[in-house]
Amino acid sequence: MIELRNVTKRYGSTTLALRNVSFDIRDKEFLVIYGPAGAGKSTTLNLIAGIVQLTSGDILQNGESLVGVAPENRDMAMAFENYVLYSHLSVYENLAFPLKAKKFPKKEIDERIQKISRLLQISELLDRRPGFLSGGQRQRVALGRAIIRPATLYLLDEPIGHLDAKLRHRLRGDLKAMAMELNATFVMVTTASKEALAMGDRIAILRNGILEQIGTPEEIYHQPKNEFVASFVGEPPMSFLDVQPVQSDGKLIFRFEGCENSISISNRVAGCLNGSQTDFRLGVRSSELTIASQQDENHNTPAQVYVVEPLGYSNVITSKIGEGLVRVTVDSHIRPKVNETIWLSLDCDHLHVFYKEKAISHPIRNQNANH
Amino acid sequence: MATISIKNLVKEYGNVKAVKGISFDVKDGEFVALLGPSGCGKSSTMRTICGLEQITDGAIYFDDKRIDHLRPRDRNIAMSFETYALYPTLTVYENIAFPLRSANWSDQKVDEEVRDIAKRMELESILDRLPNELSGGQAQRVGLARALVRQKPNVFLLDEPISHLDTRQRHRMREFIKHLHLELGYTMVYVTHDQEEAMSMADRIVVMNEGTIRQIGTPDEVFNDPADDFVAGFVGEPPMNFIEGTIEQSDGRWDFKIKDQQFPLPEWVRAQGEKMPQQVKLGIRPFYIDINLSEDQPYDLSGEVFIVENMQDYTIVSVDTNDLRLQIVASGDFRAKRHQKVFLKFQPQFIRFFDLQTGKAIKSGEL
Repeated sequence: MIELRNVTKRYGSTTLALRNVSFDIRDKEFLVIYGPAGAGKSTTLNLIAGIVQLTSGDILQNGESLVGVAPENRDMAMAFENYVLYSHLSVYENLAFPLKAKKFPKKEIDERIQKISRLLQISELLDRRPGFLSGGQRQRVALGRAIIRPATLYLLDEPIGHLDAKLRHRLRGDLKAMAMELNATFVMVTTASKEALAMGDRIAILRNGILEQIGTPEEIYHQPKNEFVASFVGEPPMSFLDVQPVQSDGKLIFRFEGCENSISISNRVAGCLNGSQTDFRLGVRSSELTIASQQDENHNTPAQVYVVEPLGYSNVITSKIGEGLVRVTVDSHIRPKVNETIWLSLDCDHLHVFYKEKAISHPIRNQNANH
Repeated sequence: MATISIKNLVKEYGNVKAVKGISFDVKDGEFVALLGPSGCGKSSTMRTICGLEQITDGAIYFDDKRIDHLRPRDRNIAMSFETYALYPTLTVYENIAFPLRSANWSDQKVDEEVRDIAKRMELESILDRLPNELSGGQAQRVGLARALVRQKPNVFLLDEPISHLDTRQRHRMREFIKHLHLELGYTMVYVTHDQEEAMSMADRIVVMNEGTIRQIGTPDEVFNDPADDFVAGFVGEPPMNFIEGTIEQSDGRWDFKIKDQQFPLPEWVRAQGEKMPQQVKLGIRPFYIDINLSEDQPYDLSGEVFIVENMQDYTIVSVDTNDLRLQIVASGDFRAKRHQKVFLKFQPQFIRFFDLQTGKAIKSGEL
């Protein structure tokens, strides 16, 4: 296990890359570090590897501090963003290179190569030179070379980030499957939310050097701690609506900004409020609500269609409530017209409620829901 | 506004034929996306429409007027590019105001217009900044705002205008541009490599590959009736699965055979009878395959789970069968273990066939 304890990293006198970050990396988990550019993701990886030094805090491996331990003595393998193959060497020799550099015996080199190439489905390509491989094959070889060294912990910095979308999509499955077979701990940095969800056993979300949340994909997706996490995971992104809690006819309601419409506040959500009148926002994922062309029992909030986006399998309908925009994913045959009024199933027990950007209530989930 | 007509357009760079004689029309007020992978010729086509590049052969018309010999500024176009240079000495505000000031708008009208678009595009807080103080995404939004600020151009030309934005902003800009198009009715040509952008925004999509047009159609047509296996594989995410196999007829049954597995074909294929080629490529999208953990339901193919990717709202399951890896989109609560045996059923109405040699779609009505 790796433990980061109050880790702070400063570059020079001004740049604070990581601020007081603490989290654990559990044995044999696939941990994804996810965040926008400049979040401190690569810095975190480099600190664990020992390539850069801590400013303050501590990093422990199996209970012992890694401070002062040289990178080569950490039993970790780090793959950098450089995935260029040697064009004059065969696939086999490319894979053997990092092991030969470490003076592994020939037999062990051969065994490792057979195992990794089987996992990555490149066994038939071992005699070829990189010039005779397809783009996808080349990437798999490069990936294989990155993890050919035996280690208990692999650190991967955007290992498939530079590839085109189709190839990325295929390789993320290959990479995850290989990680499961190797039975080692993986820490991977990415800027793609789909990769984080698809691959991570847990996801650590960083922004501006601060750990915003760490949890399983399910926790991150369904119980985001704040608006940043909520808006940064999932596609289409979560919609946010400014609302004001007010009393109306003795009942507590959320009134939408910029219009007279409102939804009632349940006792459950009312218990999360704090008496403040401002800074509340509702968050809703496009899959968490439905629409109807007529008002009915469940569809009580009118909205004007702003835009309809066909995506083949489904359509995303964005509609306006006052000044706010709400996205809803619907079946591909449902196509309301722009400016038409539709009715949304906005129900405060099935929404995220944020106060000053922090989540105070999450949707009640039906665990057995069939989609 | 104007119509655009591209006739047998050829664009060569030295010996490289970037665009190999393509023709298409954009109707007055239509939103057309040029979609394809890098190097397909979409940007070269766009640059000839703008006048940033000379054409090698063919012709370009706005309405009935041939314009391919005109200088860019004489074509009355508004454009925004992936890396469109902002004026480095002007603030964001003045960059956006520039086209309006050039058109002699009053200060008050300029101010109203700039503040309106800045609000819609979330630029209000950076109006006083200079271009070198902006992030890549911010600079791109300023470039887009400058192109979209109210003018009366013949056509709007946008080349990857939102490629540098993060997911949240990209969705907002997509919605904003599409809504603006509906509101103002501009003729628009939009270049992108992102199939979801093209699908979500365009009235029609021109799908290009290797300097040629593979299909022109509405998002529905391109998605549901792709002209060939290139279009079928490029549009849609996760991409369509392809399976090469043999059509076999015995005892009045029509089966699709892959190695040691086979399953009956949809009615329309049987109706085509002898006219179907024997060797074909079957295509089916991941969303249209039902997956079961037990074999008590009828199934077409069996296989074993390679990996399960739980995206929360849905699950992508990769299944190995007959040396093939198929992807299936299942519900968000689908669970299975690696190497677990699963049974697949293709929804027959969504099965497509492609010619093994040419890649062209074999359609039910055309044989």
